[in-house]
Amino acid sequence: MIHEVTWIGAAVKALIALLLVSAVAGFGTYIERKVLAWMQRRPGPAHVGPFGLLQLAADGIKLFTKEDFIPQFSNRLIFSIAPVITAGTAFIALAAVPLFPDFTFPSWIPLLGGVFVPSIASDVNIGILFILAAMAAGLYGPLLAGMSQQNKWGIIGAARTAVQFLSYEVVTGLSLLAPIMLVSSLSLVDFNNYQAGGIGSWMLWQQPLAFILFLIAGFAETNRTPFDLLEHEAEIVSGFVTEYSGLRWGLFFVGEYANMITIGVLASVVFCGGYSDLWLIPGWLMMGLKVSFFFFLMLWVRASWPHIRPDQLMWLSWKVLMPLAVVNVVITGIVMMAMA
Amino acid sequence: MSLEQFKNRNVGQQQYRMLDLGKTPETGWGRFKQVLGRSLKVELLIGLGVTFGVMIRTLFRGETHTIRYPFEKIPISRRYRAIHEMKRLLESGHYRCIGCGLCEKICISNCITMDTRYDENQRKEVSEYSINFGRCIFCGYCAEVCPELAIVHGDRYETASEQRASFSLFEDMLTPIDKLKSQQEYPGFGAVSPNADENIKKTPLAY
Amino acid sequence: MSSITITIDGQACQAKEGEFILNIARANGIFIPAICYLTRCSPTLACRICLVEADGKRVYSCNAKAKDGMNIVTKNEEILEERRAIMEVYDVNHPLQCGVCDQSGECELQNYTLELGVDSQSFAIPDTKREATTWSSVLHYDPGLCIVCERCVTVCKDMVGDAALSTGPRGGEKLSKELKEIVPKDAYAMWNKLQKSVIVPSNGTGETNCSDCGECIAVCPVGALVSRDFQYTSNAWDLTRIPAVSAHSSDGFQIYYEVKPTSIADRTPKIYRVTNEWHYTSLDGAARFAYDFENGSAQKDPVAFAKAVEALKKAETIRFNATITNEEALMLQTLKEKLGLKLYNPEVGAYQKFLASYAKTSGNSLYSGDTDKIMKESDFVIAVGTHLRNEAPGSRHAFNNVQKMNKGAGLYFHPVGDALVPTFGKSVSQFAYSPGLEEAALYLILDLFADKEKLPKEVAAYLEDFHSTETKTVQEKVMVDVVETVVDEETGESKEVTKKVPQMVEKEIEVVRNGLVELLGKKSDTFAAEFEKMLKKKERFSLMVGEDLYYHEKAENLAKLVALIEKACDFDLVIIPPKSNALGVALICALDDQASGYTVGYNENGDFRLSALGDGDLDMPALNQQEGTLTTLGKRIVPTNAALPYHGYELNDLVRELVGAPAETIDWTAKLPKKRGYKAVAFDALTNAYSNDGVDHRGYLLDTESREEKLPEVETPAVYSALEGEIAVRLNPGRQFSDFTDKAHQIFEPFALYTSPEKAAELGARVEVVFKNRVLKLDVIADDKMEGDIVCVPDFKSREDIYGLFGDRRYQTVTLRKG
Repeated sequence: MIHEVTWIGAAVKALIALLLVSAVAGFGTYIERKVLAWMQRRPGPAHVGPFGLLQLAADGIKLFTKEDFIPQFSNRLIFSIAPVITAGTAFIALAAVPLFPDFTFPSWIPLLGGVFVPSIASDVNIGILFILAAMAAGLYGPLLAGMSQQNKWGIIGAARTAVQFLSYEVVTGLSLLAPIMLVSSLSLVDFNNYQAGGIGSWMLWQQPLAFILFLIAGFAETNRTPFDLLEHEAEIVSGFVTEYSGLRWGLFFVGEYANMITIGVLASVVFCGGYSDLWLIPGWLMMGLKVSFFFFLMLWVRASWPHIRPDQLMWLSWKVLMPLAVVNVVITGIVMMAMA
Repeated sequence: MSLEQFKNRNVGQQQYRMLDLGKTPETGWGRFKQVLGRSLKVELLIGLGVTFGVMIRTLFRGETHTIRYPFEKIPISRRYRAIHEMKRLLESGHYRCIGCGLCEKICISNCITMDTRYDENQRKEVSEYSINFGRCIFCGYCAEVCPELAIVHGDRYETASEQRASFSLFEDMLTPIDKLKSQQEYPGFGAVSPNADENIKKTPLAY
Repeated sequence: MSSITITIDGQACQAKEGEFILNIARANGIFIPAICYLTRCSPTLACRICLVEADGKRVYSCNAKAKDGMNIVTKNEEILEERRAIMEVYDVNHPLQCGVCDQSGECELQNYTLELGVDSQSFAIPDTKREATTWSSVLHYDPGLCIVCERCVTVCKDMVGDAALSTGPRGGEKLSKELKEIVPKDAYAMWNKLQKSVIVPSNGTGETNCSDCGECIAVCPVGALVSRDFQYTSNAWDLTRIPAVSAHSSDGFQIYYEVKPTSIADRTPKIYRVTNEWHYTSLDGAARFAYDFENGSAQKDPVAFAKAVEALKKAETIRFNATITNEEALMLQTLKEKLGLKLYNPEVGAYQKFLASYAKTSGNSLYSGDTDKIMKESDFVIAVGTHLRNEAPGSRHAFNNVQKMNKGAGLYFHPVGDALVPTFGKSVSQFAYSPGLEEAALYLILDLFADKEKLPKEVAAYLEDFHSTETKTVQEKVMVDVVETVVDEETGESKEVTKKVPQMVEKEIEVVRNGLVELLGKKSDTFAAEFEKMLKKKERFSLMVGEDLYYHEKAENLAKLVALIEKACDFDLVIIPPKSNALGVALICALDDQASGYTVGYNENGDFRLSALGDGDLDMPALNQQEGTLTTLGKRIVPTNAALPYHGYELNDLVRELVGAPAETIDWTAKLPKKRGYKAVAFDALTNAYSNDGVDHRGYLLDTESREEKLPEVETPAVYSALEGEIAVRLNPGRQFSDFTDKAHQIFEPFALYTSPEKAAELGARVEVVFKNRVLKLDVIADDKMEGDIVCVPDFKSREDIYGLFGDRRYQTVTLRKG
């Protein structure tokens, strides 16, 4: 059954994605604090609301009511725009990401009755490319933020942004190239469908190296430990966010969490079977579970592993990961030719 | 470790145990092999395992280090140096302070002041006593120098107040007369050592 | 006295023959422990801790006189052992109350115990209960703390002259025989004495009835003697010592104001007590206890200031007194010169004139002696016209000290008889003459001491006129041999025994009568004998004259007579300045005889009052609130410092507003008039200390000059007219000098009529004193040391304008009515 995607459906999907991801990003902070706490033998937030759940609301209120502070000698315009770029690009990338299966509003709902909501807001045929491009554009957020604030830690943070993001773009792209070659499509829906045959058909088993490389690069792209050198507080105070506070700082935060979800979704869809049903578990739940796992993985790693140095980061990218990715692509190509 | 060993700063002769970290690879190929070796040995995953284990124990066995402070408190050391207390004599209930002024003199942040006078019983009476807690650094010298074990440090570390003055006068620090029975001796700075008697030369007395 | 050299611990020391070893050591910076010895008093030999070895023999350095070439060892093992035993004995039963003791670490008992390393006690004796008592309105004695070093007794007797303290029975247990065996000799002797005595008032009552000078408090090495006001109020280490000069008597005693915040609630500084360098200077009661006379509440009041400027612009006279600094005196003089004001000072005017007459006739710009010199050198001291006990404490100390230390003698001429003065020494003779006979007193001195050949002929002749010879029949005791026959009762034999039996025989002798002595109220024949004894072995003479002579009808002639005595008899002379800085004012200001027109009073009555007493129209700083210099009786310019803060205007501000002045009051110090002997020394360059040998290094000495002048011509009165009837004298009680002493809370002497107990009983509790122009109603207070019928009206309250009543006389005939 093929449904026509109306603009209302796309808008509803976008709205749902936006709200959901924002909410999840917020909730993510709570989860992160809890998980880190447990892994460090602490209870974590516990006083605001049951199990500290309303800590989220408290933080939100704090962020919203904090003084909006712009340093005297900063470039006010760019300083103000930079967080919007980060958050904006993170959400734009989500436009081509399938968050849950298609559905149609039941007809008894006024106005929206019968509207078809697609799994992807915009199933562009270059989905992966679009996502990668949008995330790459996200580089401008930290870069401009760091450079506009007239703060030496900000400048160092910005420099690290440029170096780190550009380097790991390459690894991300190359690691995804092999699965793309196998699926022969850039649409994520096609990826999903390619792996519809149960766990055995997951891309993970065909491209284990690509999966690992993608995950590593994904950590770097989202600025997570052990690659959070952009705002490494032990070295450069807070890097590109040194001078930010309140809501502007919150936007960076939301952007980072949105990117984490994007990476989680990508990893799920490209390598782990996407939103197809598995046994009795419905597809949307599978998707949720998989994304949650990757999210959890990021926190887990943060709790377990130390930072690496910038030079180690570069060494890893250009001398280890990139060659391995190239080798992987070449081998995949040879195997495909042999199979054909 | 004895004091003598502790004072020996000649590092070479001390019993350090060196960890076997292997050789640092010098060639690129060597380094690559090291990365490969370490990756294949999945050392990183062991780390993940440790933290996961901790999480499980925290979640399901309640093993946490956190003290939920305002709701639960751990007992602090009797030698802890918090807001001062003025002790009373157990027998008579009279305050111990004789107004000698040694605490006032020794105080390095110069925050103790006292007023004394000649009282009706021909004794020196402390008519007022005050510690400026804005300046006090809680060094404990006053407790150490006090010949009567009158001023000591107490265990009141929760000292948030609208005014510092709430703690700083004689009656604020003095053991309330109805709590005299529960007054405890302070074992910290200036307390009598357990073997004090052995260190004193006896003076002959003719009565 | 010749100069000798002795060796102390290998160090060669120059000294005078007969000086005590301890003093030589101290002067040369060699430490010998000593508890009971006071530099300017006689050795007590109570503590025995100063023992040293002189040429191999043990002596007590406080009373052993140095001989040329002596070799002294201050410590060796035996001496240290003995000293340690002495300190150990002192520590027996001494209460361990060091925590509350007011000596608070400035304790000689503590110091020497530590110095000699006494760290254990081997002696014991049952303690005796001794209760703390108060001896007077200021003295508190705790015999429990007392180590009976007798310094208080010594200073009271040898320096102050009250001799109000002595040792009394302690009631302690006797030392056992075993102790005698184990305690070293000197320690045992000291202990034996200590165990028998405590300090008690010497008059047998519980009260000292002394002049309340508090010198015993100062010298007490432990916390046994403390002033009642200071007791338990502060530790010594909390007090900041501010070097200053006593503001009240003209002696300019060196003092320290000891300052600390008033209380926890009130952080403004307060003077807690006054201390002094008691080895080198002794205070009177006013200097020690009248310290809180500050003008505490003063603030800058621009309106009052503007009014004060206006008042000074229209004023004709500034009336002030002696209680100001040299700098302020110079400011007033500047105002006089620039604005043509009159300066009127009833306290100093007569003194200035007297000094001027003296200088003119004698050729000396200033008198030759001072009290310090008298104490050190004189052995015969004469006081004329000054009531030593009440108005000249420094001179009184000198008079007394000469009797005690120099085996001296003294003559005391004052109309108000004083029971205390004759107790200063055996060779003190008192003339309680009738007021008006001051010239006769001075002529008697000339007669007694001057070389008649040297005197101008008419004076010699005048004196000779008083001498007459008469034959007198006296009864004389003669021993006559009487032969008696004694019968032995047992044997019946009779024996002739020759016995000497006294027999009164009438004999005619020639007696030289001295009319002057008789005129002054003594019998000339007994006095002649007395005087002959007094004069024995006396070498150095000094004369102190006081206020009676300045406020006198014939003051000018008296000044000439004083100059004549100084020359003809080669006396050290002191013309005692009446109060505070009277000498400074007399030298710096050109005073006028009378006030007229609109008067600005400075601490005095006036149409507009500048006052440091807090009750004037514009506040001024009191002497404990300002820097400046004072000119003392010893002709020394001494700096005093501000002990307490002052927030109001100073005289300098007024002068600046009127005629221009430097920034600070002390900028005037270097401008003090050089032709009067002052030097161009800045205030901050003035030193303020005594050195170890007791030499005064405070400030600088006035330059004095003397020309050769022929002996002055003096008036020889044919008839002396003594005042008759009821006589009142302008004389303050002991510790009162001015409004400032009256303001102090430890000075209790009220404004009342003081007189002898007999007269007081006759007068009743309250009297009206009728002067020519006014009637004073006063309570009568008996001063049991006064003698005679003269009543004393104090002048310390400027509001009462007592100077106005007495004018230029010190004695007035009055009518006394029961009031």
